[in-house]
Amino acid sequence: MTNHWIDIQHSDVIMCIGSNPAENHPVSFKYIDKAKDNGGKLISVDPRFTRTSAKADMYAQLRPGTDIAFLGGMINYVLNNDLIHKEYVVNYTNAAFLISDDFEFNEGLFSGFDKGSSSYSKESWAYQKDENGMILRDDNLKDPRCVYQLMKKHYSRYTPEKVCDITGTDLNNYLQLVKTFCSTGRPDKSATIMYAMGTTQHTVGTQNVRSYAMLQLLLGNVGIAGGGINALRGESNVQGSTDYAILYHILPGYLKVPTHTNTDLQAYLKKWTPTTDDPQSANWWGNTPKYMVSLLKAYWGEAATAENDFCYDYLPKRSGNYSYIKLMERLQLGGFEGLINMGTNPIVGGPDVQQIAKGLDKLKWMVSVDLWETETSVFWRRPGADPKTIDTEVFLLPAASSIEKEGSISNSGRWAQWRYQAIKPVGDAKSDAAMLDMWVKELKKLYAEDGVFPGPITDLAWDYGHEEEPDIDKVARECNGFFTRDTEVKGKRFKKGEQVPSFAYLKDDGSTVSGNWLYCGSYTEKGNMMKRRGLEDPGGMGAYHNWSWCWPVNRRILYNRASVDLDGKSFNQQKPVISWNRATRKWEGDVPDGGWPPMNEPGTKSPFIMIPEGYGRLFAAGLADGPFPEHYEPVESPVDNCMTAQQCNPAAMIPADFFSDSDKYPYVGSTYRVTEHWQAGAMTRNLPWLVELVPDMFVEIGTTLAKAKGLKNGDMATITSARGAIEARVLVTPRIKPLVVSGKTVEQVGMIWHFGFNGLAKGSSANVLTAAVGDANTGIPESKAFLCDIRKGGMKS
Amino acid sequence: MSRATISGEPDAFLIDLTKCTGCRGCMVACKQWNQLPAEETDFFSGEGYQNPKEMSENTYTVIKFREFEKNGHSIFSFYKEMCMHCDDPACVSVCPVNAFHKTPEGPVIYDAKVCIGCRFCMIGCPFDVPKYEWSKKLPLVRKCDGCYSRIKADLKPACVTACPSAMEYGPRSQMVQIAEERLKRHPDHYINTIYGKDEAGGTSVLYLSSEPYEELRFPSVPERPLPSYTWPALRLVPGIFATVVTGLTALTLFNHRKERLERERNKEKEAEQQRTVQAEEDKS
Ligand code: SF4
Ligand code: SF4
Repeated sequence: MTNHWIDIQHSDVIMCIGSNPAENHPVSFKYIDKAKDNGGKLISVDPRFTRTSAKADMYAQLRPGTDIAFLGGMINYVLNNDLIHKEYVVNYTNAAFLISDDFEFNEGLFSGFDKGSSSYSKESWAYQKDENGMILRDDNLKDPRCVYQLMKKHYSRYTPEKVCDITGTDLNNYLQLVKTFCSTGRPDKSATIMYAMGTTQHTVGTQNVRSYAMLQLLLGNVGIAGGGINALRGESNVQGSTDYAILYHILPGYLKVPTHTNTDLQAYLKKWTPTTDDPQSANWWGNTPKYMVSLLKAYWGEAATAENDFCYDYLPKRSGNYSYIKLMERLQLGGFEGLINMGTNPIVGGPDVQQIAKGLDKLKWMVSVDLWETETSVFWRRPGADPKTIDTEVFLLPAASSIEKEGSISNSGRWAQWRYQAIKPVGDAKSDAAMLDMWVKELKKLYAEDGVFPGPITDLAWDYGHEEEPDIDKVARECNGFFTRDTEVKGKRFKKGEQVPSFAYLKDDGSTVSGNWLYCGSYTEKGNMMKRRGLEDPGGMGAYHNWSWCWPVNRRILYNRASVDLDGKSFNQQKPVISWNRATRKWEGDVPDGGWPPMNEPGTKSPFIMIPEGYGRLFAAGLADGPFPEHYEPVESPVDNCMTAQQCNPAAMIPADFFSDSDKYPYVGSTYRVTEHWQAGAMTRNLPWLVELVPDMFVEIGTTLAKAKGLKNGDMATITSARGAIEARVLVTPRIKPLVVSGKTVEQVGMIWHFGFNGLAKGSSANVLTAAVGDANTGIPESKAFLCDIRKGGMKS
Repeated sequence: MSRATISGEPDAFLIDLTKCTGCRGCMVACKQWNQLPAEETDFFSGEGYQNPKEMSENTYTVIKFREFEKNGHSIFSFYKEMCMHCDDPACVSVCPVNAFHKTPEGPVIYDAKVCIGCRFCMIGCPFDVPKYEWSKKLPLVRKCDGCYSRIKADLKPACVTACPSAMEYGPRSQMVQIAEERLKRHPDHYINTIYGKDEAGGTSVLYLSSEPYEELRFPSVPERPLPSYTWPALRLVPGIFATVVTGLTALTLFNHRKERLERERNKEKEAEQQRTVQAEEDKS
């Protein structure tokens, strides 16, 4: 989230698209309700009419996988009707920047596409610069090569009629909604976008989010109270695990994982430390060396010295794409000997799960660490498998639940909150930290005995006590970081062992340790900031700066220096996030995005400090699939792309042997969650009180499809896709309606993905049907739009 | 100190259905606090995702789902059904052994120790709230007790505590005031009625809704307190009373009941321990 949960109350318009907060983030509704009480409008955009739609002031239906068309039309509307927040757009975004003459867009492809590798070379997606490296700009936004004009041209193709033809949205509904949302370009108005997996699980997932960001930048809605683009994290600590490098391509604090070409620390830092020629750009990632060296010091402690590149050689280098789909492909090829699942249930949660399950058959050993016996932990018992032919040795380790252990948890709003142990773990259950601690200690012993390359393991700085439960306080202290010797930074003296007060004091000379620079400030000499429970709210804006701690540096709203005009005065006087006090020459309110004076004063910096050029990117050259989001059909779609001849995202991750058949599988399928169950279901399908509420795997279809297929409420039906077949009870509902797309009626089939063959409540897994095709940038599978068929009767009938 | 002694008047629930998302946290919280077993359900037993079908001996509160079309728009609505804790309750007036009583704090509570299982309360209640333990050999009557033990401990009811958005709890006049303010501020948003304000002579559960109450299948009840109808009526049917009492041998009834109550009390002790832990948590 750029903002945070409580801040949603300040929104004048809230658009839930690709999310369903009433069902999947029920507590957030408290703040949506507050906004509504204050006159705010709630818009729900969803293929189905959900419990969120039920509470919305406006509802618009859209076909799964067509967000970019939907948003493209909104961008077009804003530009055509000149509804942008002009002062913001000119001064804080790259709208005025001139783009290389070589950049072009033709028939669905941006310049630089290479068919052979299905990827772009991005040289032409570049800014025009003068001889000093300064970007050329036209503040009148008139130059045909400026971002504003290129964008205007690009989205002029997204007329309301065309958009609704693609998305299946009712034209009047669409126009009304667009008008409401786009009225928030006024400085005193705000709108927020709440999104989740309905946005991201597409082959254009990243560009979906980009399209939201662009619209919000145009309306001046990023950085302000009640604004932003807010990712609703689907699990209570997903934010924390992402911050701490759960993804294959990042290290803690979003530092890049080195690739095999980054042969030494210098090469790595040269490659991944962005530079700028603009003195007004803070270019915060320019600090990469300090953060990286402090991280290496956290990993290898005293062994990491300037002489040995701080043990950079010990870090594994990646030589390819290790995203989920790729790992699972390799699993199926027998590419792994062993697998450890910690709180994950891939044969329910992954895409095309039957293939993943077959991959597990090839393992020599597998460990599952979980609260319950998950489907994955008993994969050899799955329907259709013959245990006699499976040799995998399986270990199920009982894990402690969240209330049985202590530690921090980071919510969607980036607040790291300390949580205490309420009860001791039941039976033999242990915390993840305890298990990892035991493993590492054992590995250290084994590597010391006869390891081939023991250094990375034996030199690991691993000192969290000798108890069975590691000292989690020590872990938190190390994540924040401390000084390794007496030293002076920025005129301040620090003693060896002292906690680093904030990442501004981290160094690249080995004098500081920090396990995650973003969390530097979370545990200072004043104590564990994540334990704070102060209820003061001086500005009355719900920022609660003394409640827990928020990264970065306790800043509650990101990009907040874009919430003020050039003099530092809040665009919205009623709801200021920060404002510049001329007398004290200090910012007041939230922790500002850097303490530099306002834009009209010397010594200032541009507000988007994480971007090397310092401006919000309407044109983003960094992505794999184009600088502007463009509508492509999902990999499996019932219709042709009516925008261009390019059917799908040309850079998407699609296996060579992928096939699909829209005649055999004519309906648009999608998956989702309900309030009553949780993820792959182990935590809820085993609880009688929740099973009572939703006892069966079910599929939702509209009344017309039900009639055509002779299906009644409660009937058993079989749903098939090119990947496999499942069965489910049918819920016939007027809340799901067919869509008219390019003149063709398209029926929808919606299903929950919580079920599996094991546990108290059992049922088919919807992910049997989903395809292992992935987003061009992240590789996230396209679970939210695929093709399927449905027929009456169970699988045996 | 209980809440009523502070405010000097009974507390009430205000359930704003325009803010209810049908998340059913309240149902689970109720089961947890009261340690009620889950019911065995099959698919869904009503419109939408409704389960269980209705209140029962093991389910003191149910979210009733409705889904239909109106003026070309989808309506998906959620109505939390529970004991209404009437100001002048029919169950209290018809109970021949005074097992029910209206507490000064608001909740209408029930004493299993004196209940003889006559089921007059079930006939008398206009909201169909008290449920009989048909599954048990020596059944008692069961219903929501407004979390009286929590109220006594100065906590709010479990369902209110769990609810993210739709429920308020406090002195009845205050709840009425909040409800009236909402009606005034957003007249286009609500049906201009506070259900429960006058129904059955006034109840301690008040509702606001954007849809007409009949469409959500709220029972339609007169505004006069129900005892004024039920008791005179039931009194005229002495047969009922006679049958209930003579149909069972009083002695066996009481012996069995004693055993059962002993067992219940042991269970209750365990549950109480659990509650104390939770109560401490809720307070902190
Ligand atoms: S007041 Fe208590 S007993 Fe009654 S419905 Fe709520 S949680 Fe259940
Ligand atoms: S907890 Fe509140 S919002 Fe959720 S169903 Fe119950 S009354 Fe409605």
